[in-house]
Amino acid sequence: TACCSSSARISRSVTLVTVRGKVKTHHLRSQDPGQRRVLDCATRQRRLTRQLEALEKDNFQDDPHASLPQLAKRLPQFDDSNESGKKRKKTRGDHFKLRFRKNFQALLEEEELSGNEGPNYLTACAEPSKLPQRHFCAVCGFPSPYTCISCGARYCCVRCLGTHHETRCLKWTV
Amino acid sequence: REIVVLTSSISSRVLLFLFSHSVIPNCQFRSKTSRLKTFTANQLDEIKDPSGLFYILPFQKGYLVNWDVQRKVWDHLFGKEMFKVDFADTSVVITEPYFNFTSIQESMNEILFEEYQFQAALRINAGSLSAHRYFQMNNQELCCIVVDSGFSFTHIVPYCRGKKMKDGICRINVGGKLLTNHLKEIISYRQLHVMDETHVINQVKEDVCYVSQDFYKDMDIAQLKGEDNTVMRDYVLPDFSSIKKGFCKPREEMNFTGKYKTGEQILRLANERFAVPEMLFHPSDIGIHEIGIPEALVNSINNMPEEMQPHFYKNIVLTGGNTLFPGFRDRVYKEVRSLTPTDFQVSVLQPPNPISYPWEGGKLLAENPDFDEMVVTREDYEENGHFICEEKFDI
Repeated sequence: TACCSSSARISRSVTLVTVRGKVKTHHLRSQDPGQRRVLDCATRQRRLTRQLEALEKDNFQDDPHASLPQLAKRLPQFDDSNESGKKRKKTRGDHFKLRFRKNFQALLEEEELSGNEGPNYLTACAEPSKLPQRHFCAVCGFPSPYTCISCGARYCCVRCLGTHHETRCLKWTV
Repeated sequence: REIVVLTSSISSRVLLFLFSHSVIPNCQFRSKTSRLKTFTANQLDEIKDPSGLFYILPFQKGYLVNWDVQRKVWDHLFGKEMFKVDFADTSVVITEPYFNFTSIQESMNEILFEEYQFQAALRINAGSLSAHRYFQMNNQELCCIVVDSGFSFTHIVPYCRGKKMKDGICRINVGGKLLTNHLKEIISYRQLHVMDETHVINQVKEDVCYVSQDFYKDMDIAQLKGEDNTVMRDYVLPDFSSIKKGFCKPREEMNFTGKYKTGEQILRLANERFAVPEMLFHPSDIGIHEIGIPEALVNSINNMPEEMQPHFYKNIVLTGGNTLFPGFRDRVYKEVRSLTPTDFQVSVLQPPNPISYPWEGGKLLAENPDFDEMVVTREDYEENGHFICEEKFDI
């Protein structure tokens, strides 16, 4: 069978030519339900949550120094003069460092457990909007009325749906 | 006596100094090309090839968690290569985020007094400094409401007679970082893989994005073809050899039909220009189920005592880097105006420099005769410990 995938983007339907020479027309939007996996609500929600969490990252690449071997003890340089006079109080040992190593999640849990009444970090969080959520095409960003049946992503036209199926749908996760 | 003002929390990326009034990145950088060196703060300027720049931030979600990195930045800035601070003779004013966790506050006390040994310190919210600055210009006003939209999040905070109203504090979890990451994602999907190029795309965002005054109208224009699409712009990406810094092509030079002949890498941006900052007004566009800035302003004010409400509406102050998007102030005014009864006067101020506005407030405060009453000296701390800081500072 030959599938003209490049023309799929231009025409509204994909034309399949079967071995026996019969021509079948297959509309993109109404594909055989058995062929496409449909994600349930919980899975969709999980994917959305993961996408949002990814937006919190500082970096999407690895640390350039990560694969370097540990550098040998740093040789004394001319800069590190013997600073007389100003005696910098050395940081206290492990206790100090442990205190200073809490990550955000740990701090938040601590806050939750402390049982502080009154306004705090958690109560200050903005509430959900009373206005309905607006939806935009996952491919081009313009307002979108339609939803992909498999994964729940939005699209605005059949052309974008085609791109979505080819590149993202169920193929890409964060 | 020297006073150092550090407003490091407005965007948790920016650190301002009293002496030189300079804006310095509050983080470290690593570059693919300079394998041995980690660049600290303003050493960013020394990096020859900032492509794929790796960021190391001391802040997580707007709160200071990585003291190792923060200390390295401060060591560099306070040291002899930069501002050469004489700690025994210096007071420091440092900003902290709202509802800062107790353990971070205590660590801060220890670091300022025991490690750096400043003579005195004042820890305060950035918005309080902004409010102080605002009331100094408008001394007949009793109330103001500060919008602080920075790197990690946006806070809406009402102030009455200089004191913040805790019940009215609202935090929207949308900040510059989210906007840049979202822009990186959509560009990476639609045009060119830029997920590693935070520094470059941040610049794109600052150069090209704007806040729409009529969202759906701009959406329609952005769909037009050729020259009719007045929203569309072409951005030339830096290659760090001949083009050191990216820039937006002026419309006269844009090629609407066919490709450019030059070897430049171009990003063609249309609806991204205004859809990205729109997230500050409608976080739900991206799936964050929170109200946007105008709604949050109205909600906050409505939680205040009735007799104060008209005063808040008259004194809305915009601070923070995100307010620099063209059209931001007008859009906030328009939205708040439409959500508010006509008998209230609505007035939204965007100061000339929203990023350093809190710093200006800090400078004023340092010159104020009451300043000595507000700080905690090192002797105070050594006698009384964290308790005295908890008493005096209102974080």
